[in-house]
Amino acid sequence: MSLKSYSRGRAVHVMLVYTGGCNGCDIEIVNCILSPKFDAEQYKVFLTWNPREADVLVVTGPVTKQNEQPLREIYKAIPEPKAVVAAGACALMGGVYKNCHGDIPSEEIAGPVDQIIPVDAKVPGCAVRPQDVVAGLVSALPLLLNAE
Amino acid sequence: MDDKKENRMVIEAEVPMGTVHPAALEPYRLRLFVEDEIVRDAEMTVGVNHRGVERIMEGLPVEKANSLTEKICGICSNIHIWNSCRVAETALEIDVPERAIYIRVIMGELERLHSHLLYLAHGSEVLGHETFSMRIFYIRETIMDLLEMIGGNRVQYGSAVLGGVRPRCELDEMRIKKLTAGMDLVEEKLTAFADRFVSDPMVMSRITGVGVTSQKDALRLACSGPTLRATGVKSDLRTEMFEYYPFDFEVITQDDGDVKSQLLMRVFENFEAIKIIRQAIRDLPDGPITNRSWEMQDTPITKSYIEAPRGTLYHSYALEDGRVRNCVIRTPSMANIGAMQYSAIGHHITDAQLCVVQCDPCFTCTDRAIEIIKL
Repeated sequence: MSLKSYSRGRAVHVMLVYTGGCNGCDIEIVNCILSPKFDAEQYKVFLTWNPREADVLVVTGPVTKQNEQPLREIYKAIPEPKAVVAAGACALMGGVYKNCHGDIPSEEIAGPVDQIIPVDAKVPGCAVRPQDVVAGLVSALPLLLNAE
Repeated sequence: MDDKKENRMVIEAEVPMGTVHPAALEPYRLRLFVEDEIVRDAEMTVGVNHRGVERIMEGLPVEKANSLTEKICGICSNIHIWNSCRVAETALEIDVPERAIYIRVIMGELERLHSHLLYLAHGSEVLGHETFSMRIFYIRETIMDLLEMIGGNRVQYGSAVLGGVRPRCELDEMRIKKLTAGMDLVEEKLTAFADRFVSDPMVMSRITGVGVTSQKDALRLACSGPTLRATGVKSDLRTEMFEYYPFDFEVITQDDGDVKSQLLMRVFENFEAIKIIRQAIRDLPDGPITNRSWEMQDTPITKSYIEAPRGTLYHSYALEDGRVRNCVIRTPSMANIGAMQYSAIGHHITDAQLCVVQCDPCFTCTDRAIEIIKL
């Protein structure tokens, strides 16, 4: 293990971006990192809202048209190496908001997250459970730790 | 015209916030016009989260549309599905069994508890006091476990269906025991927290007299829910809802309308919610939990108002061949946006975020249909 990955593994900063879901996933993710019950901070995972110090980007919501450009810019602002975790049914496939009346695409939604930025790990669920979020974050960590 | 130009105040310094900002969980845009670090005017814009739930609901079968309303908000999800079912039940004159009403009230009050605790945790974090925030998050986990036990999911626990509640949400003896124990635990922990909170001179000096909304302004801006009650107006829809007739509870009001009254308001309302849940468990009637004997028919637009944790929630739709038509939803934060803007004016810019958070914003549900006005 190189010195870089050693130090990276001891301060993983997670940035949460909300792109128009129902707020349920966001609270569960904040809950799983901050709250004393799940407490990902004990494994040196911290929550941040500054893209320039973030390592992992957690995206929730179906990405509304208004949120598409900000999401791209936030993704660009994160320094390499970075990992993206899409959390929740909306982020994975648009959820209940993707289509009107069966198969007519809704005009408000720009599509699931993987059509806009590359996604490394996917966490299913509506809303996501905190345990699953921790598992998703852990599965994205090798991308950061094995990077040159 | 010339007189108007002379009177116009020009404020040069503008501090924009958003749409993605560290202190706010949800995206919104807040423009603060400052003069010597004192906020002179504030403007709040929402509209980034618009997903068009009413548009998707249009033409869906009413059962499907009910479960879709739950996805409007991840914090007060149960109250949306309850109110949506209430619309159809009023329109079709469905008799809901008494046991189902009691279970709905228990779910609604549990949701009020978790929403208010989330507010307190978020408020403490914005205050900069992480220890209080963590303590509240820990108390909230007890409520989340109870909700998961009854509904099967931590966030979207759609308990209400047309004519009653889901069979999954039936309260058996083991669940009632757990509920009773949970309420005792929450009350004990919350009392300890409240004692510690009000006896902390640092926190009290930080929140007393900050972000004042006067009673006159609150009434003029048509605020609702705890935001209005914290300015001394005794207005609670629960006193008029037939579901709450059997229960004995007090409508809490606070006098000052500042951040302190808003925070204490939620603490005291939590105790009232615990009181209601205890009464509901004690008097839980026997009988069926769903009424399946009803017939679908076409109805005109029916309205329903309900007291959500944040204020008054409004749903209305018409039924046509069992499908939803002309759906309108109005969420409580829509009414409270005015208070968020006004309470920041005249205070230091560092308190602006606190002034917004004190009104319990939920912009996810607030982004409703966009009306384009041609000028």
